[in-house]
Amino acid sequence: MLLLQYHNLLLQSILTERLEPGASLVYIDQIISDFDYVTFHVSTPETKSVIVVSLAIKCWSDLVKYGAESVLKREYGSYITETEPGYNFSLKLDVEALQQENAELREALIDKIALLKRHAMAAPFEKAFDTFEQLEKAAQSTDRGVPEESDTEVMTIHYRDEESIFVRPSFDRVTVIFSIIFREETDKIFGKVFLQEFVDARRRAIQNAPQVLYSSSEPPLEIRHVPAAKMQADMGYVTFVLFPRHMTAMRRENCISHVQMFRDFFLYHIKCSKAYLHSRMRYRVSEFLKILNRAKPENVEKERKTASGRRFVST
Amino acid sequence: MAIARDRPAIVMDNGTGMTKLGYAGNDSPSFIFPTAMATRSGAGGKPGVRTATSSLSQKRDTEDLDFFIGDEALYAANGPGYGLEYPMRHGQVENWDLMERFWECSLFKYLRCDPEDHYFLLTEPPLNTPENRENTAEIMFESFNCAGLYIAVQAVLALAASWTSSKVQDRSLTGTVIDSGDGVTHVIPVAEGYVIGSGIKSIPIAGRDITYFVQSLLRDRGELDTSLKTAERIKEEYAYVCPDIVKEFSRYDREKDKFQTFRVDQGGGRHVNVDVGYERFLAPEVFFNPEIISSDFLTPLPEVVDTVIQSSPIDVRRGLYNNIVLSGGSTMFKDFGRRLQRDIKHLVDARIKSSEQKSGTKSGGMDVQVISHKRQRNAVWFGGSLLAQTGEFKSYCHTKKDYDEYGPGIVRNFSLFNMP
Repeated sequence: MLLLQYHNLLLQSILTERLEPGASLVYIDQIISDFDYVTFHVSTPETKSVIVVSLAIKCWSDLVKYGAESVLKREYGSYITETEPGYNFSLKLDVEALQQENAELREALIDKIALLKRHAMAAPFEKAFDTFEQLEKAAQSTDRGVPEESDTEVMTIHYRDEESIFVRPSFDRVTVIFSIIFREETDKIFGKVFLQEFVDARRRAIQNAPQVLYSSSEPPLEIRHVPAAKMQADMGYVTFVLFPRHMTAMRRENCISHVQMFRDFFLYHIKCSKAYLHSRMRYRVSEFLKILNRAKPENVEKERKTASGRRFVST
Repeated sequence: MAIARDRPAIVMDNGTGMTKLGYAGNDSPSFIFPTAMATRSGAGGKPGVRTATSSLSQKRDTEDLDFFIGDEALYAANGPGYGLEYPMRHGQVENWDLMERFWECSLFKYLRCDPEDHYFLLTEPPLNTPENRENTAEIMFESFNCAGLYIAVQAVLALAASWTSSKVQDRSLTGTVIDSGDGVTHVIPVAEGYVIGSGIKSIPIAGRDITYFVQSLLRDRGELDTSLKTAERIKEEYAYVCPDIVKEFSRYDREKDKFQTFRVDQGGGRHVNVDVGYERFLAPEVFFNPEIISSDFLTPLPEVVDTVIQSSPIDVRRGLYNNIVLSGGSTMFKDFGRRLQRDIKHLVDARIKSSEQKSGTKSGGMDVQVISHKRQRNAVWFGGSLLAQTGEFKSYCHTKKDYDEYGPGIVRNFSLFNMP
């Protein structure tokens, strides 16, 4: 598995199982966790024929500020229901009605619900991309050359306790900045190597990739004035510069999915590399042990004596 | 480490056959799949034999990420290019390289969690070696940087799972666990949360043997569908434990509605009816009369349980008789617990009677209680989930900080914990 999936596999499998025609109605009460402090709760609170899927996400207040509600409304429309206490967003599914539904439609709906986290997180990016389009048009029509840089707002998403995503649209690009904290020394080194690889990738082979910058000493200029962007000892900043070619209608959705999974993808691969190094180390140890075992002296024949002290003489 | 406070702990129960994964607080595992991996290097070579090691140093591509686990592995292994490998053997981890990647995939693909944010509860078989625990801790802490780790003995978790039963009054960790899965059945005495290692006995009869037995009965009768899958379905859906095998035979002769038919969907719209007869009560009977299927193992399960308890220290025997807990899929037969309780009670009463006669004194008697509950099938996982959702759980875990301070030796000891 090279890329992490965008949808929640468990959410998908539970719903597929339950909404299949002929599936019996059962009581469900499951908590499902996802990356970045996201928790889902799938339950049948009142009757077994109504499934409620709730989402709790740490940065909900940020997301609402950047239009998450309208994005979710667009995606889920009539399924949205009153929010369950303790959660941020709830969907209600009528099992019996959906079991009658055409298989394709049902699958599409299940896939969509499995992407709930992705859609919730997508709002700021969509807003940024829209702002970018407006700015781009404005820049073309006025033809005044470069417009003022600082008039666009930096959107901050505090999606983890100490780490944030910063999104800043501008007339010719959208800048996405991640702040990443490494809790361990080894991870930090792995991280640096990986990020250097990202930076170099563009130079070497993949010209179409977004530009990646990495700084471990100070926040990038774009977000230096944002209060959340203070520098900590073990914090690094990764900057993605998305160009217009990444934001065409066709690529847009894909691009959002990729970008928001970056941190998890990044940490996943650090862990995979460690696992790989460990397997090399285990192999080495077993080889060394083989050598050591070979170096053991053979059973040397000891001189045998009888009880009275006489020796055996070999003939 | 305050970060993982409100995120559920992760409970992983890796068995030889099946792996159960899920979040603490749920009442059933989120994922249950075979502990199998399909890897590129496994193709061609014999399973279990490392063929990858020779090519380790020549790695150029991302082949170490090219693998599947669980049901996907079984599927992939049918196609070309992949071979099946099993990281676990006889309840213990055999190949740590595979296990590390197995965990990596189960965490990131199936559970979708960042291990840095969650606490973990892993299980181990009774009599696991301290070295194995250290290896586990090394992987969990060094590769995954997990926030906290607790390794619990499966039998103890099975005891904890029985607390949901209404028969249990006090939440003690003393009892006899009968763990019967697919491959083997274990009888494990546990005193105050510690396994009495010398008392463990295993029985070479478990789910798979019963399925084969049902299949052979179907074959003898010449049923239309005698596949292993059909036999398994019949075993799971129709089998029950009878109080007396001879009476049950005569009951079947009198009441014709005891015979049932099972409709098998053979795919492609074809259906076949299979008659279900004596195997309904004969299948679980092999636990009580092993001579039905085996010629070398002849001790009935109640007798084994009795021997196990008799070989335990005398001061815990009362607790062990009082709290006999069932765990695993092969203990799910209807009335299994009731029959077991009756048979053990017979053995115990007979012994007390003979000793009363010999000594001439009166005995206070012994209570025998077999506890069966709704969560028996995944009792180990459920017990883990029950313990890991409590507030105290985190204080019993070893954290990353402890590990960094003391090294892997820290997991040699785990403090037991009891629910309030």
